[in-house]
Amino acid sequence: MNGLPILSLITFLPLAGALVVALLPARFARPVALAAALLAWVASLLLVVGFSPERDGLFQFVEELSWIPLFGIEYKLGVDGLSLVLVVLTTTLTWISILASFKPIQTRIKEYMVSFLILEVGMIGVFLALDAFLFYIFWEIVLVPMYLIIGIWGGANRIYATIKFVLYTLVGSLLMLVAILATAFAFQAANGSDWTGAFDFEALRELATAGGGFDPTLQLLAFGAFFLAFAIKVPMFPFHTWLPDAHVEAPTAGSVILAGVLLKLGGYGFIRWTLSLYPDAAQTFAPAIIVLSLIAIIYGAIVALVQPDLKKLVAYSSVSHMGFVTLGIFVFQPQAMAGAILQMFSHGLITGALFLLVGVIYERTHDRTIAKMGGLAARTPVYATILGFFVFASAGLPGLSGFVGEFLTLVGTFAANPWAAVVATFVMILGAAYLLWMFQRVVTGEPSVFLASLGHRLTDISPVEILTLAPLGALVVVFGILPGILLDTIDGSITSSLRDAGTGTAIALDPLVVAIGLGLVAAAVVVRVVTLPTGARPAAAENGS
Amino acid sequence: MDTLIPLIAALPLAGFLVTAAIGRRLGRQAHWIPVLAVAASWLVAMVVVATALSGAAPFAEDGYAVRLWEWIPAGNLQVEAALLVDNLAAVLLIVVTTVGLLVHVYSIGYMRHDPGYWRFFAYLNLFMFSMLVLVLGDSWLTVFVAWELVGLSSYLLIGFWYRKSSAALASKKAFIVNRVGDVGFALGIMAIWVNTGTLNIRDSIDVLTSQPLTAFPVPIGIVALLIFAGAMGKSAQFPLHVWLPDAMEGPTPVSALIHAATMVNAGVYLVARANPIFASAPEAMVVVAAIGIFTAILAASIALTQTDIKRVLAYSTLSQLGYMFAAFGVGAWTAAIFHLMAQGFTKGLLFLASGSVIHAVHDEQDMRKMGGLAKRIPHTYRTMLIGSLGMAGIPPLASFFSKDEILGESFILGFAWVWAIGIIVAIMTAFYMFRLIGLTFWGESRVDRAVEPKIHESPAVMTVPLWLLAIASILLGIWLSWPGPPLGPLFGVEGPGLLAGWLEPVYAQGLEILGQHEAEFALFGIDGALILVSVAVATAGLLAAWRLFGVEIGPLRQRARPERVRALSARVPFLYRASLNKWWFDELNHLLFIVIGGRVAAVLWWFDAKVVDGIVNGIGSVTRRSGGGLARVQTGRVQNYALGIAIGLIVMAGSYLMIAGR
Repeated sequence: MNGLPILSLITFLPLAGALVVALLPARFARPVALAAALLAWVASLLLVVGFSPERDGLFQFVEELSWIPLFGIEYKLGVDGLSLVLVVLTTTLTWISILASFKPIQTRIKEYMVSFLILEVGMIGVFLALDAFLFYIFWEIVLVPMYLIIGIWGGANRIYATIKFVLYTLVGSLLMLVAILATAFAFQAANGSDWTGAFDFEALRELATAGGGFDPTLQLLAFGAFFLAFAIKVPMFPFHTWLPDAHVEAPTAGSVILAGVLLKLGGYGFIRWTLSLYPDAAQTFAPAIIVLSLIAIIYGAIVALVQPDLKKLVAYSSVSHMGFVTLGIFVFQPQAMAGAILQMFSHGLITGALFLLVGVIYERTHDRTIAKMGGLAARTPVYATILGFFVFASAGLPGLSGFVGEFLTLVGTFAANPWAAVVATFVMILGAAYLLWMFQRVVTGEPSVFLASLGHRLTDISPVEILTLAPLGALVVVFGILPGILLDTIDGSITSSLRDAGTGTAIALDPLVVAIGLGLVAAAVVVRVVTLPTGARPAAAENGS
Repeated sequence: MDTLIPLIAALPLAGFLVTAAIGRRLGRQAHWIPVLAVAASWLVAMVVVATALSGAAPFAEDGYAVRLWEWIPAGNLQVEAALLVDNLAAVLLIVVTTVGLLVHVYSIGYMRHDPGYWRFFAYLNLFMFSMLVLVLGDSWLTVFVAWELVGLSSYLLIGFWYRKSSAALASKKAFIVNRVGDVGFALGIMAIWVNTGTLNIRDSIDVLTSQPLTAFPVPIGIVALLIFAGAMGKSAQFPLHVWLPDAMEGPTPVSALIHAATMVNAGVYLVARANPIFASAPEAMVVVAAIGIFTAILAASIALTQTDIKRVLAYSTLSQLGYMFAAFGVGAWTAAIFHLMAQGFTKGLLFLASGSVIHAVHDEQDMRKMGGLAKRIPHTYRTMLIGSLGMAGIPPLASFFSKDEILGESFILGFAWVWAIGIIVAIMTAFYMFRLIGLTFWGESRVDRAVEPKIHESPAVMTVPLWLLAIASILLGIWLSWPGPPLGPLFGVEGPGLLAGWLEPVYAQGLEILGQHEAEFALFGIDGALILVSVAVATAGLLAAWRLFGVEIGPLRQRARPERVRALSARVPFLYRASLNKWWFDELNHLLFIVIGGRVAAVLWWFDAKVVDGIVNGIGSVTRRSGGGLARVQTGRVQNYALGIAIGLIVMAGSYLMIAGR
């Protein structure tokens, strides 16, 4: 362990790959990028082999270098079960996405691959960073390549979508930077003006949980800032509206990474940073976050029901599924949190696959409108079968990975708060409804006029496309039958995160502040509704049962 | 046993995987692997069943479980993948594997010309695997997994002819309506874990029955009702019954296997599994009885007027499932399982026979275009007649014994209302079954001219399973009740019936809580009177059907009188229309979920796109022109902002009072 800096290796292998891609001629861009991503993937699998799950919640393979000693800022990486699982998810989805981009991306291929590999650096870095400042740097690194991927290789309305995506996430992350600095400042003040460890996660956690904790006001404000950053990323209701737009405009691989990994940055951030550093504030805000999660679960599913565009449907289903993640985290219950982490992992696999599948059909039809589809089973039976598999996986069919995450979240929630579980369980019906309705309209019946007009251009799924989906399908089955592999890995992280959160006690909020907040929200909604032009009233849902 | 028990389920799974992988290349030979897999599974199951029912080692009183692997190790929630064979599972294994095997064989003939031949057999094997795991599951969660997997297989098989949009709609409807029940079942499982800390079926029941009821965070009545909600979905009880008639869109062997003989019985199996939980919650049992008997009469009333042969049978299935739940609710638990077995064979027979009819008249299902088929397809006719006599409740056929026991015990256990409604249902049953036989087999042929000369009896691969099922549905009742009442005393033998003896250990805990022993049933005295009443009403229903729709059995000859049928239905126009339109449940659901639900969804989407997103964009634009201040106020819409501010203030004041007042 003390020879090879394996964490840095995994993190910066893609960067090395990006440099090679940039230096070599464009025709090498595809294989080199794929090779770099595969190497990072292999390295992450080696990490899995070397990881010892029995070392409860302690960070392993820790690398520590002094970076800006004046403020105690370090280059510090470390891995525990939670980050390990998410790193493997990232490296897996990245090579699959790169492979899936080979055919669709034909312009500026070098720049595209460089962006993708740098994106991977940022994502892995977020999961491994144990220094708050380093975490922030990686967090922002993620933003730039994703901005480029949507903005350059995206659809017709990509500029609107990217601006929305960037502004949204930037607002969250800048406030987070302020919170990080404020926390560090409070740390050094408490430590007699010594900056040592002011950005170090472990030192901060020590102070926050065992050492008496941060000042309540600081906690509330800092938690609020972190919350905004993470809630936008997850995305939680009502901070989710950037997601459908970004997905619709993003190229297929961009959507895969966006849904598969980027959303998990938020979930990861909640567990790693907010529970451990601001336990009192976390306890204070938990009820509100649970309510927002329940709204996201049900509301996301209902809105998904009436989406006319395949990608938007999957995007809203993500809002619903990610609601389980925030719900599972903030009921502070071990099974629920295990469920939340499993849900993150399997949502990455399943939704990633669904976006790939939408991409497959888009490649052939240049359309994603559900109403124009129909009868794919007759024309492309293999595609229809694979789509069916992932549709049922997404609907939480037992035996596949999605079920275990959902069930554990629900059962844990039931133990903590039965009514919340009752509300959330209804998504079983809604989820089946929007997925199967989509499946029925797209796959069954006679081939639609539109599809028939494509003639022989509507080919069945190609071997390369199957190759991108097969590993995801295999993992969905394996982790559905043997979720113990994941559960044993994350067990230590869950215990330590819940222990940290458990040291908190809810801070009494001033009722006046809460009332003013609710009043402002109500006023904003009312003003928005009454100032809408009269033509913008809701249209009736498209019928056809 | 450690290999045999898993093998029962593993064989069909292997059959599914192999057929899914290479079936397409096997063409018309694709049935071999799946059929042999199920045959082998049947053989293994029979060995296991015989050992289990004889109580030989390693089977204990409460069965024997094979542990496979740690499925979900999540802290203090540990779920094992394990299979359990006890007497209840053994009884179910008999029905599932036997009917399953016969349906597989029958399908070789029935599906012969279908282009999706291999796919059909692959799905059937997937279903067998799922159903067997459902029966064998040792933990609530394993049962739930299988519960959903049978739902998936059912979805795939109902929608087997995926180009037909009616089939696609029916399969989706079946899955979603089932999911409604599954929400209850899933919540019930969560409640069980919260109450007992385990999801193992036997362990959790031990905990639930060994402690005072007040010790549990979730009241046990709620747990029972949640589990029953799951059972209502799968067994299609009111108001979740709407999916089953539509499920007839699937190929007929599927209707026989899944939607008559096995899967729809899963709900009855589930409540029987959970019997001590229900015993601890008498109020929940009354609910079960009420919903069951209501479904029985509702479905029977619809079956009276349907013209599609499969739909009549589908509503009859609903009605008989209602009987089983009524039996369970009143405490006649053995009778419920008895009826399950009898119906499994009888209904399987009737559906397969109807498939043979449909086959003979070239995919016609409308009985108005049948008639006079008795001589043309004699094997189908005779077997179907046997099934119908059984359904009507004519002794000594299997369904007579089981139905009679349900009705008799309801009366004796003090549920006279269940008995009274049950008697009415019995009349209706005899009536609609012989309406079906009359319209299909007797009288003049109304078959399409073009089809008429081509009517043919089905091949042996289809008629042999029919006869085997017919023999089973004749003898099963005698066999399972012997030497118990009512036949035993008649021949001077005493003792509990065979089935009652098998199920005794299964129900022991529950009956102890319930504080009763299952009513013994005797031929003489009041019980004898009850038997006479039910035979009498069965005959009455039968005679009524004969008078209206004719009869041609041996010396019994009567012509059909369609004019009297018309006159009779004109006399009660509302009831007739209600029955014909299935009491408008489909219309109601369409209004509630498609029309109203669709509008709600549309409004929420509008809210999302315009309001939630609009506020975000609004904040963005306000920030951008912060120099201009509240520039938009000057657009002449001040009253709008005033309204917003006013409502905001009201919310502010209201929430302040609520929070501070606590």
